[in-house]
Amino acid sequence: MSFEMTIDDRTVTAMPGQTVMEAATAAGIHIPGLCHHQHLPSLGACRLCVVEIERQRGLQPACTFPAAEGLVVRTETPKIVAARKFAVEMLFSERTHYCMTCPVSGGAENTDCDLQMLAYRYGMTHWMFAPDASHAWKVDATRPYFIMDHGRCILCRRCVRACASMAANHTLGVHQRGARTLIGADDDLSFDQSSCVSCGSCLQVCPTGALTDRSSAFAGRESEMTRVKTICSGCAVGCGIEVLVRDNNLVRIDGDWDAPNAGLLCAEGRFMPTQPAPPRITRPLVRREGKLLEAGWDEALEVAADSLRGADRPAGLISPRMTTRLLAGFASLFNETLGSDRVALLYGQVPPMDLGTSATLADVGTSDCIVGLGVDPLKDQKVVGYLVKRAVDAGATLLLVNDQPTPLDRLAGDRVPLKHLSPMSASPFAQLHYSYHLGAGGLSRVKAAVASAHRPVILYAPGLSPTAYAGLRSMHAKAKFLPMVRGANAMGAHRLGLTARPVEAPVTYVLLGDDSPEVGAPSPATDFLIVQSAHRNAWTDAADVVLPARTWAEKPGLLMNLEGRRQRLTPLLKEPPGVRADLETLVLLSAKLGSPLSFDLIVEMCDAV
Amino acid sequence: MSRKITLASDWLTGCAGCHMSLLDIDERLVALLDRVELRSMPITDLKHPDEAGVDVGILEGAVNNSATERVALQMRQRCKVLIALGDCAVFGGVPTMRNREGVACALRRAYIETESTVDGKIPGDPELAVMQPCRALDQVVKVDLHLPGCPPSADAIHHCLAELLAGRTPELTGKNLDWH
Repeated sequence: MSFEMTIDDRTVTAMPGQTVMEAATAAGIHIPGLCHHQHLPSLGACRLCVVEIERQRGLQPACTFPAAEGLVVRTETPKIVAARKFAVEMLFSERTHYCMTCPVSGGAENTDCDLQMLAYRYGMTHWMFAPDASHAWKVDATRPYFIMDHGRCILCRRCVRACASMAANHTLGVHQRGARTLIGADDDLSFDQSSCVSCGSCLQVCPTGALTDRSSAFAGRESEMTRVKTICSGCAVGCGIEVLVRDNNLVRIDGDWDAPNAGLLCAEGRFMPTQPAPPRITRPLVRREGKLLEAGWDEALEVAADSLRGADRPAGLISPRMTTRLLAGFASLFNETLGSDRVALLYGQVPPMDLGTSATLADVGTSDCIVGLGVDPLKDQKVVGYLVKRAVDAGATLLLVNDQPTPLDRLAGDRVPLKHLSPMSASPFAQLHYSYHLGAGGLSRVKAAVASAHRPVILYAPGLSPTAYAGLRSMHAKAKFLPMVRGANAMGAHRLGLTARPVEAPVTYVLLGDDSPEVGAPSPATDFLIVQSAHRNAWTDAADVVLPARTWAEKPGLLMNLEGRRQRLTPLLKEPPGVRADLETLVLLSAKLGSPLSFDLIVEMCDAV
Repeated sequence: MSRKITLASDWLTGCAGCHMSLLDIDERLVALLDRVELRSMPITDLKHPDEAGVDVGILEGAVNNSATERVALQMRQRCKVLIALGDCAVFGGVPTMRNREGVACALRRAYIETESTVDGKIPGDPELAVMQPCRALDQVVKVDLHLPGCPPSADAIHHCLAELLAGRTPELTGKNLDWH
């Protein structure tokens, strides 16, 4: 039941369980804070959110004080301002904060640094107590993507809480006491030696420059950039991201707090897109006398069309990261224009989808019993892995059924071995030929775990034996299932009827986009290889014709994640001159082949998804 | 007409940039001169503030040896209001980076190890100033007004002088702390 209280002479409505800070924020009243973060548990460490509350002795921290009926709160009286000024002065008097007025990071109106914003707000011009300038504070730059500068740290412990509550990794902690207090990893190890997984949750919540990523440091302030919400296409989890873009460059990626991943990302999703990529392909290439040489679009498409025309049922392989419309166009090119059924995904097999109720990401985080069947989420779907760890932190039991050790095993209460039915083959499609068997003993263990739980979630992989899937179908109805697929749009492809399977033919067309799949080399059966790729890689080096492609950041479109949620990619960048839209390339190619793709048909196929 | 306000300034371990910013007050300087008399400054011929004292003293730069320390002490003795001008005077600034390595290391690097130096020698003449760890001005003398910035903007400097002339304590907030 909501109730009323008074903040700054205004009557505001608050809910039970809210803090004074939350009630004020909901009413549009800003109370400054440094250790407080909306998406982290409150701590009450920095004393900047102190407020006056009638009938309370002294000033109280708004971030931890529970809102209550009839409270009378004042948020900015002379007494409060004096206390806050003192707290800010003290923060600046430690470490190496020479930067209370540095406008390079923003200036009074729009600084990116929360600490500096308070210095401006309270008119700080100098140190009350000068820090010891001869002390060299440690800088840990041992991780590839981001740096910890202890000289900039104010010990707010947001990073410690993010590490524990977002990624459930518990790497960060507080070492020493008093003036020697330091944030540290594990048992005071350097970050590269520690259990840190570089998910960057700490980086995203750091209020100062103590944690800085290498790509956005000194790349300008946020007010000079555009912040765009879109979807990560790194894996099938499809996390919501917010991308900072400046001058057609990706500067930084933050997790989207409003998306189901709630700000959480993995190292690959947060950092890979801003890392230097292999050389970009901006012109078509055609192999002449053994060498790949630049060619015009018309010429390259003609050579590609000639080889496809002359082939009997050429093969098409496409990355499951491509948008639904592109997948439909590619399938249509092979099925309709070329009359070939040899079209498949490079990887991204989808297991049976009819086992029971589907689980969401939220279900994983709040489950009290998680069963992992042949899955390694901390490798293939990292954010799901972190959610599993969060659930285990909250008391969930974890049962893993797998054939090889995974990093999650440590947390598993129970482990059941999976048996291989067929040996691993040497084919690049090896993972497709796996067949795992879940014996009757294993199945009964899973059933027992599910039976004793309230909100059981089963994470299951493709490649289990039919008997194993049949067993899962007979699970109690309260069990929810999450297919652990690989490939950002493997689910969309599955709906279109495109699956990951080995296809081989003398002429092969591979649409990679900006993907660089582990499947390393083209089949030896291929005499002529056409590769559509954004970057140079082993595939383009082996190709006879290379066609440029857009990256995920350059195209609009839909991706379906492993929950089956359709999500929209927002274009962030303009492609380099010379690069065409991927679907346009397919349409031009089909026109050369004498049977242009029907755009209506492609739209119809996508609508059906 | 009442007596003009007297103003003296000097630079310590700094780069002179703050004084350039002071001159950037431009034509407003002419108006200021109606009410302010410039005494010893790096741009005038007087080398020391008047023994009889001045109203306003301005110091740029940090204190890092016995010579700059003496200049700071003398200015403090001879002025009523002392302004620390710029980041080096306010915080110590770039020169304080030396403190981490120490005076001996800095001297060795400058006089012996520089790539162009052959048979270098650290100067030891007793007439020379003695090096000290680098300090902000308020770690040496009492400072009445801190004006940070690298350099502080001409507007901020003008604002401080105009407020002092009006008999008020200058308040530095918002735009006056934006020195770029």
